[in-house]
Amino acid sequence: MPGWIEEILYDLGAAWAIARKDMKIYYLKPSILVSSLLFPFVMFLAFAIGRDTTPEILLPGLLAITLLFSATSIGPVSIPIERRTKTFDRLLSAPISVRAIVLGASLSGAIFASAIGIVATAVGLIVLRIGIIHIVAFCAGIGLTSICFSTMGTLFASYRTENVGEVMSLLNLVRLPLLFISGVFIPIASMPAWGLSIARFSPLTYAHDLIRFAFDETTLFGPVTDVAVLVLTLIIFQVAGALLYQRSRE
Amino acid sequence: MDAIEVIGLTKRFGDTVAVNGINFSVKEGETFGFLGPNGAGKTTTIRMLTGMTRITSGRALIHGHDIVSDTRAAKQLMGIVAEISNVYDELSAWDNVVFAGRLYHLKRVDIQRNARDLLETFELYERRHDLAGSFSKGMKRRLTLAMGLVNRPKVLFLDEPTSGLDVQSRRIIRDVIQDLARKNVTVFLTTHDIEEANVTCDRVAIINRGVIAGIDAPEKLKQTIESLQSVEVSFDAVRPGVVEVLRALPQASGITKEGDKFRIYTADPPEILASLCALAQEQNLRPISITTRGPSLEEVFVRLTGLSIDTAKEEGETDAGLD
Ligand SMILES: Nc1ncnc2c1ncn2[C@@H]1O[C@H](COP(=O)(O)OP(=O)(O)OP(=O)(O)O)[C@@H](O)[C@H]1O
Ligand SMILES: [Mg+2]
Repeated sequence: MPGWIEEILYDLGAAWAIARKDMKIYYLKPSILVSSLLFPFVMFLAFAIGRDTTPEILLPGLLAITLLFSATSIGPVSIPIERRTKTFDRLLSAPISVRAIVLGASLSGAIFASAIGIVATAVGLIVLRIGIIHIVAFCAGIGLTSICFSTMGTLFASYRTENVGEVMSLLNLVRLPLLFISGVFIPIASMPAWGLSIARFSPLTYAHDLIRFAFDETTLFGPVTDVAVLVLTLIIFQVAGALLYQRSRE
Repeated sequence: MDAIEVIGLTKRFGDTVAVNGINFSVKEGETFGFLGPNGAGKTTTIRMLTGMTRITSGRALIHGHDIVSDTRAAKQLMGIVAEISNVYDELSAWDNVVFAGRLYHLKRVDIQRNARDLLETFELYERRHDLAGSFSKGMKRRLTLAMGLVNRPKVLFLDEPTSGLDVQSRRIIRDVIQDLARKNVTVFLTTHDIEEANVTCDRVAIINRGVIAGIDAPEKLKQTIESLQSVEVSFDAVRPGVVEVLRALPQASGITKEGDKFRIYTADPPEILASLCALAQEQNLRPISITTRGPSLEEVFVRLTGLSIDTAKEEGETDAGLD
């Protein structure tokens, strides 16, 4: 086996080990599970009551918000904590690449967000009495959105601090505007032209577009473009993450 | 080939030079001590040797593998026990060791076997299902060592392995280090405890303010240490001329006065004690306290480098002398 393949397998193994460790420590906690599962329902109450929207519009929007928030809820917190307890040094001194660390740190958030997304969908389908038309687009939408945004969270945690608050406030500076420019609250069709130009730069726009397509075939960019943009974003985030973590070593 | 070879290793943090162009090499199977006061650059050196922090300049080779250009091969050979017991509090002892093993791409069966052996060695096997967060300081330390050994390293880095631990934990850790030496594992350990360096190391480097003052066998170090032992005595009343009388003691190699205490340097504390008692009787002095003391690290450092204590103190305000 050539050396580089061996290294990739090695890194994947390590990333998986890191993901399992994070799941055990951070995600499989009753309080985290309960609050994350309640999140989409709270959002539903906040946005659906009194508004005049159809379930086909409502559910993809709720899912996009849920995925964004659950994928970025733990990663940006856990890494500064592990820097403080110096357990992060274990990863830095292990014979693995920085890519493996970034992937591992993002993987657990992605798995968690996907699981929350699927549960929320299942409840939504029953309550709202709608169906999924394109199951493949749905799965791609959930999976890619989750891993993209959990990588974004990891990216933010590369900012070298042991202070959780710093990372969270930086993250919110990006997370909240994303919601408003990505067609989740305000349909892109009803935005002025400049709105659409900004929306094009938000990965959440494509995530939302893809998930919406899975439910009622409404789409702005087409599922192929959506998937392509999300994959590209993922690659950019992962590579940027590796570079930032490499640089953040003092 | 040397197990560790360090050439002109330097680390700067902004304007601070934490490690300043140090050179040394450690042979395979050797237990090498890095002895120095707080802030000397011990941890920084280990962090560079293990690839945790970037090297400003210089090189470090682990069994011939450059830590910068051949990182994986170098890291694969080593085990690391950090200064702070960095265990995952929310994982059980068992899960901690298993996770450490997974980062080294070991086979499942090997991880399980090593985890069991190591937890037994460090007397934690009975508590393996308990969360590490519920462990005492000494238990966490032992768990950190178990994690550092899970990949059966050829070179083990230990950053102050026993500092602040009780006798039982110290004993277990020392036994393990001796056992590793028998298995030809190279051990690099830092400490500010002269006794520990003496007991465990084949060779010791003394580092202060980022510079190595000397590398020697502990025997040589011991001679320096012995000549720097001292007896501290204070009397019920201060009388003029006492200093002269004390200085006249045949075994005294030097004397200083600190407050109401006299410190008499000697290579032979028991003899001095005997003479002191006789002297006190003769001069009608009543000693109210007598203590024998080993030298502080600073004193040993000063003796080895030939700097005077005053200049060393002025320069190194962070270097707390440790007894
Ligand atoms: N991350 C950092 N940023 C800036 N300065 C640092 C950093 N880490 C260490 N230093 C400085 O480098 C010097 C050496 O520190 P180091 O931790 O290596 O000492 P040490 O010998 O391990 O001391 P101790 O016995 O207290 O553990 C100190 O002056 C310290 O302030
Ligand atoms: Mg240190």
